[in-house]
Formats: sequence, C-alpha cells, structure tokens
Amino acid sequence: MTVRAKLAAATPGLRGAISRPGERRRAAYRRHNLAGYTFIAPWLICFFAFTLIPMVASLYLAFTDYDILSATPHWVGLRNLQRMFFEDPRYWRSVRATFYYVMIAVPMRLAFALGVAMLLNTYRRGVSVYRAIYYAPSVVGGSVAVAVMWRQIFGTDGLINAVTRLFGIAPVTWLGNPRTAIWTLIVLAVWQFGSPMLIFLTGLRQIPQEMYEAAAIDGADAADRFFRITLPLLSPVIFFNLVMQTISGFMVFTQAFVVTGGAPLDTTLFYSLYLYQRGFDNFQMGYASAMAWVLLVVVAFFTALVFKSSSYWVFYEAKEGA
Amino acid sequence: MNRNRWPIVLGVVLALSLALSACAPAATPTPQPKPATAAAQPTSAQAQPTTAPTAAQAQQPVELRIVWWGSQDRHDRTIKVINLFMQQHPNIKITYEFVAWADYWTKLATQAAGEGLPDIIQQDYAYIGEYTNRNLLLPLDDYVKSGVINTADVTPAELDGGRVNGKLVAINLGSNSQCWVLDVDAFQKAGVPLPAPDWTWADMEKAAMQIHDKLGIWGMGPGLWDEQIWASLYLSLGQWRYNADGTAIGYTDDTPYVQHLERMLRLEKAGAIVPRAEDVANYYGKSVEAQPIVEGKAAMAYFWSNQIVAVWKAAGENRNFKMVPLPRMEGGKSANYIKPSQFWSIAATSKHPKEAAMFIDFFTNSVEANEILMAERGVPISSKVREALKPKLGKSQAAMFDYVAEVSKTAQPIPPADPPGHNDIVKNVLYPQVADPVAFGQLTPAQGAAVLRKEANAILAKNKK
Repeated sequence: MTVRAKLAAATPGLRGAISRPGERRRAAYRRHNLAGYTFIAPWLICFFAFTLIPMVASLYLAFTDYDILSATPHWVGLRNLQRMFFEDPRYWRSVRATFYYVMIAVPMRLAFALGVAMLLNTYRRGVSVYRAIYYAPSVVGGSVAVAVMWRQIFGTDGLINAVTRLFGIAPVTWLGNPRTAIWTLIVLAVWQFGSPMLIFLTGLRQIPQEMYEAAAIDGADAADRFFRITLPLLSPVIFFNLVMQTISGFMVFTQAFVVTGGAPLDTTLFYSLYLYQRGFDNFQMGYASAMAWVLLVVVAFFTALVFKSSSYWVFYEAKEGA
Repeated sequence: MNRNRWPIVLGVVLALSLALSACAPAATPTPQPKPATAAAQPTSAQAQPTTAPTAAQAQQPVELRIVWWGSQDRHDRTIKVINLFMQQHPNIKITYEFVAWADYWTKLATQAAGEGLPDIIQQDYAYIGEYTNRNLLLPLDDYVKSGVINTADVTPAELDGGRVNGKLVAINLGSNSQCWVLDVDAFQKAGVPLPAPDWTWADMEKAAMQIHDKLGIWGMGPGLWDEQIWASLYLSLGQWRYNADGTAIGYTDDTPYVQHLERMLRLEKAGAIVPRAEDVANYYGKSVEAQPIVEGKAAMAYFWSNQIVAVWKAAGENRNFKMVPLPRMEGGKSANYIKPSQFWSIAATSKHPKEAAMFIDFFTNSVEANEILMAERGVPISSKVREALKPKLGKSQAAMFDYVAEVSKTAQPIPPADPPGHNDIVKNVLYPQVADPVAFGQLTPAQGAAVLRKEANAILAKNKK
C-alpha cells in the first residue's frame, strides 16, 4: 500500500488508473523503458547531433547554393542536379572512376579473402597465428599512415621500382600514369582483405565435413567439391560480404585523398573525393550536398539490386532443404 | 520503491556525463576574474615600448589562436617568435596551428563555417577579397591609427596590398616576387651561360634542353602548368588574364598560352623538365623542401622569392643559387610584380582583437622577432627592421633582398585581386580539364586553350550584375 501511494504521488496523472493490475504493469514497462533509453542516451544524443540533424540539413542544402564561407543559402531548386548531370565533365569522370574501382576492387578483394580463408580453414598448429597476421593489414586498413606508406612504396623512388630495377626494368611512375594510378589503389584495397576473410572463415567452419566426405566417396574432385558444396553453402556469407563491400567501395575516400589526390587526369577522382573537393576546396557546399544525396540513391539502388539478385544465387539450407 | 529508482538516476548521471564528454566540443576556458592588484607587470611594458600595454591589460589572462601555412623552416621560426612574445607578455597565451598550403584553405573554410576562426590568420592575396566580402576579417584601420600597430617605418604602398574596398584588413608580412632559381654549379658544369634578367621563354627552353643533354638531370623543375605562369604570360604582354570587372577572360588571343603549352610538351618529350605525371605523383602539394632542385635533380626551379630561404636551407648553405626574374614573352615586358607574400589578419569574431593587433605589431616591428624570422616570409616592410637585419643576413636572405630590390625597378604594377570563381577555374578547369589532358595527350594545346576560355567564361559569367 505504501508503495502504491508513493508511486501515485510521484505520478499524479496515473492516480486513477493505478489500481488496475494491467495499468500497473504498463507503468512498470514505462519505467523500464525510461531506464533503457537513459542508458542508450549517449548514443542517441550523438546520433541526433552528428548524423540525423546534419543529414536533414544537407538535404535542404542540396537545393541551395550554400557556400561555406557565407551564412545565407539561397534556394535554387534542382539547379545543382542540372549542373551535375549536364554541365560538369569532372562529375562524370568521378562517376567513371568510382564504378571502375567498385567493379574491380570489390570482386577481387572478395575472391582474395575467400582464397586465403580456405587456406586457413585447416586445423593445423599455428594457423591462428597466420590468421592474426593476415588480418593485421585490415586493422590499420583505412588509416592515413598506410596510405602515406603506399605513396612511398609506389613512388618513383619507391620500393616497387627499386625491386624492378634489380631486374633491369625501367622505373614506372605508378602514381602519375593515368593507366596505373587507380591500380595502386585497387591493390591497396585487395591487400586489406581481413574482415571479409574472417567472415568467410566462420562461414567455412559451418559447412559440415560429412558433405565433403560423402562427395569424395562418390568420386567428386576438388573442383566439384568447391563449386557444388563450398560455394552454394557459403553463398549467404558471400552475399553479406558483397553487400557490405559494395557499400564501402562506393564511399572510398581516404586512400585516394592521401595517395593520389584524384590525379592524374582525374582517373582516381573517386566520388567522395570530388564531393569533398567541391565542398571544402571550392566552398560549394550546396552542390556537394546534392552530390552526396545522389550517391545515397545510387548506393541504395545497387544494394537493392544485389538483394534482388540474391534469390537466384543465394541458398539458405532451411529453404532448399539441403 | 526508492531503491528501485536508483538504477535510473545512476543511468541518467552516467549517460549525461558520457554524452557531454563524447559530444561537446572542448569547452573554451572561461576567462578568470581579473586580479585586483594591477601593479605587478611593468617588465613587459618596458621590454616592448611600441605596444605599451597598460598594466591593467597586462594582468588580464588572454588566450589567442593563430594559424599559418608554410614549410618546416617557417614553422620553427614562427613558433620561436610566438614563445618570445609570450615571454614578454606573460598574460597572453597563444596556441598555434600550422599546415601545408594544400590543406590550409580547407581547414580555414571549415573553421569559418563553424564560426571558430583563429584570432590571427595568415592570409593570401588570392583570398583576402573573398574573406573580406563575407565579413570574416576585422578592419585594422583603428589599430593603425591608435598606434597599436605601428606603421611609422612602412611606406603606404607596402600596406596597400592589404586594403580591400578601402579598408585595411591585412598587414603585409613581406614583399615578394616570383623568380627562377638557378643552380649555378649545374649551369657551369654544363657550360651553359647564366641567363640575363630579361631572358625570354625561348632562352629558358634552350637552357633546359642543353643542361639535360649535358648532365642528364632535369633542366627545369615542376610547376610550369601553374596558374601563376598562365597569368605571367599575359602580364608580360601588358594584359591581364581576367577583364576589369571579372566577368570574362581578359585577353583575346589564345596564341601565347597555346605556344606555352606546346613548349611544355616539347620539354617533356625531351625529358628536359619534370613531366606532369612525375609532378602529380611526387611533387604536387608538397612543401618546397621536397622540390627536385633541392636534391640536385633539376637545375632550375620556379618559386616565390621568399621561398629561397627554405629551399637554400634544405639544400645546404654550400650550394650556389642565383635568382632571376620570370622569363618574358618574346618582345614583352617584365612578367614580374611585387606582391605582399602573405598577411596577418584578425578574425572578425576575435574576442581579443587588441592583443591580436599587438602580436601583429610585434611581428612587424620588433627587431628581435625579425632576427628570428630572418625574412623567411619575404622582405620585411619596416625600413627599420630591414636596416637592422642587413648586416646579419645569410646568403639566402641577402639574395632575396637584392632580388626584390632589383626586380622592383622593372616590375609591373600589382594586378587586381582575382575575381570570385577564380578558385573554381583553377581547380576544376585549368588543372583537370586543360593541363592534364594536354600533358597526357588527350587534347592538343589549341583545344586546351579553347576549353580554358569557354569554361572560365561560363564560371565568370556569374559575376555579371
């Protein structure tokens, strides 16, 4: 009784309802929710302050001519989109560079990750050490330090040219040649295969050994076992990795920003990099915001495409009754 | 029931403290209450009579932020001067940031957008117009009038570069002009005569080719695709690249620029100049210490005259450099002008403009400070400082003083500040749509010049009223 009285006093609005048991339970839930929300408040506050509100603001700015130095944006409607699609040759160069990168770097990284994962999918001694070693590049992954190191390695006086010179090959300006520059970034991306590799590895561990044994008894060779057992059973994991890597592929920024700066001939001018240059070098924040929203739509479209296609190539054991 | 509420209270406290520490920008320290005793600090006032802070002001703790771009040499010198200033003004604390040129304006624009500009800002002639038109810089006329910034030893012409719309918004840190730096030893080794001050682009090409043939090094370093070179071609012909009201390209004949691009291609093909590919891969955006002339990989280089100090320091005092003006167009006049190398400005949002002005004064007039700076930012504007420095100049500073004095005899008047859109033209048209495609053979020089005209005019057309 004292408890109920106290609660009623603390929450006067509930005084009438408090006597009914159902209501009491609901009030208890509400208290639990309050505690829950309080505990996630740090994340919530940061989410609103640094993600949601800036996103809404950028949606508005995408329809303005906002330049970062002066405070007043003017509404220009779809003018930014018009400029982007019809008047800006560099925009299409950045789209081309980004697609080139995504189409090549993402499959290569996945293939590489899968290959290494299969090598590591044994129970020999010391394999966990190798796992850690192969994962290491991804830990330092998108960092500026690695990008700077990359610049040195592929520089004209860098490691690669020093090695090729030993074999009498003339040095190549890897970062300055329009044909090779983007490949230095693709190699960098492939080298950072660690996180998809770990996910593949867990996927591989879940494929029952009996299947391989049964197939081997039936006379299936290694290729058969890979294409008819490993790949189908791994397809949900491949699907997950493909989606994640495609999304991050479209947003690639740091590597190009540090290693090549978009040069030469805009062959490494990735979309995010160009967006950044427009916003922060040219102060055209409205235009940059419009570019960002177009990118969002494009990424969403391709993610949806991968999802749609998944019904043709992703097999879930439960559904297929394997 | 009370007991049950504890987790919530605890949660709220935890959450708030986490949120505050995670999200909030580092709080600016609240100014401490002014101490009542105002007699303690006469030393600083005596040490620096030109600034003469009253005792009361000397007591009030003030924090200033300052930002500049530059080379390692400049960072070291500037930090020393800041420390010296703080020693003489114990109540003023200056925190500093410095970055390379390539990132500087990005950083500054972001800070401007967040209304967090540092109190004292290093400014450039290419940007003061843009910053002043957006009311981001504090007019300094009052501080000059009241003598906080002492300009008694400065000629008006040396201040005028910092005037926008009739108001003084920036104090010139040194006079400067573009130059060709020659590696004298390489010239002698190759048996190539040193060029005369009125040499032409054809002379330049010949020298670069000869040196490359004889020594196998690059005749000339990178940077000839630079927008300033584009400007200098027309300046030498007595024209300017933009028209008077900044609404279109100012010249009618593309031929000089086409010829320049053709010359670049000839030099690149012969291997007599750092190729564009090498430039973007290894040199672009790096500070001057990284330029090939420093390591003896090139015999000539294109710089602003003040940069010789950092270049010479990085290359070593035993090297033999000579500075000559920019090559002229055939039959043209001087392609040089005297430019304020850079400025100090005060942000309009500064809470302590007076102390910031005191620092600028110190930087401009203190002999002690300039003995540390050693004209690294260009020839000092104060005649008193110049006189005091002269006997102490090293090789590089003496060369710079002589060069600027010599060049100012023939130099053209300073061209008007670049119109809005200039930055857009340089970064989105000149390099990516003209220089690169021409250098990599996608466009002919004539097509490149035509693209530049068309796209630049489209951008400048927005300036029409």
